[in-house]
Amino acid sequence: MSISFGEIQTGHSLPPVVQSYTQPAIDHYALASLDMNPVHTNEEWAARAKVFGIPETVGHGMMTMSTLASVVTRAWGVVGKDGGSIRFVDAKFTKPVKVGETVTATGKVKRKHHYGPGKNWVQVAIEARDSTGDVIGLAEVGYNLPD
Amino acid sequence: MPVPSRLDRFVETEKQRHFSRDFMIGWEAYETWDEATVGQSGLAQRTFVITEEDILDYNRACGETDPLMIDPAFARQHPPTGELLQHPIFVTTIAFYSLGEKGIGTWIRTPGARNPQQRIEISEPFRYGEIISTTITTADKFTQRGKPYLQMLLDFRNERSVLKARWWCSLILPATRADVSRFANA
Repeated sequence: MSISFGEIQTGHSLPPVVQSYTQPAIDHYALASLDMNPVHTNEEWAARAKVFGIPETVGHGMMTMSTLASVVTRAWGVVGKDGGSIRFVDAKFTKPVKVGETVTATGKVKRKHHYGPGKNWVQVAIEARDSTGDVIGLAEVGYNLPD
Repeated sequence: MPVPSRLDRFVETEKQRHFSRDFMIGWEAYETWDEATVGQSGLAQRTFVITEEDILDYNRACGETDPLMIDPAFARQHPPTGELLQHPIFVTTIAFYSLGEKGIGTWIRTPGARNPQQRIEISEPFRYGEIISTTITTADKFTQRGKPYLQMLLDFRNERSVLKARWWCSLILPATRADVSRFANA
């Protein structure tokens, strides 16, 4: 990361993150997060329970939140070389992500918060869409940028 | 409930080897929406010792490619910390491990739950060896468009009581134990 708070402009676009939600990818996320809810991993149970009104497994909401947050962390770093860092991630989930979907998340700097040297941060608005173009998740990420 | 054996190939960490993969075990004792009381607070059942393998596996599952997140040898030789950097949503793993099967906040494991929104705040990165205690406070309970929402605040602190992260965790839940049972026994 080499961008600074002074240089960045509202409306600045971050590179998109594209993530495949295959069943193996969802299985891996279940183990990594220890969220073993069968709505994500057990097709037979999911078909009977229809938690989201559909008879199939879906991706974790927290996996979607991770994809949303990755738009910022891949662009600027979880902890930036020049002192940047994540403050918060605020996410909403608008549509379950079906197995086999490809999710594309994009972000733009929405607001600059002028708190003074060493405390300035930006708010990035992110949206993720599935392959049909539907929005599946939205997020606001706060990120401390170096002066 | 049978857990698909195909998940075995993703077991990478010591915690995963000992963690029950059967989501339905003990559901009868989980806190339910109608039982939860706003303002009630307590400690999670377990502490979570931060290890390199926990962070590595979460980062990989998120599809990360930054060597500072997925290459321990590279991370050891480079700033900023000399350790793998964790994805900001890694607190999910800490919460599911720590909350256990009894007491406040166990509704995070409710069969039939739906995830509407979440907020996570990061104070500072977790470091290897830190022992994380999670304090849970029932933060809000409401119905919206006929759906029962429950929200808890999870505070993650290390062994020196330093606040590392906070998570406002919200779910839409089956309202009663009878409602949960319909999903648990589906």
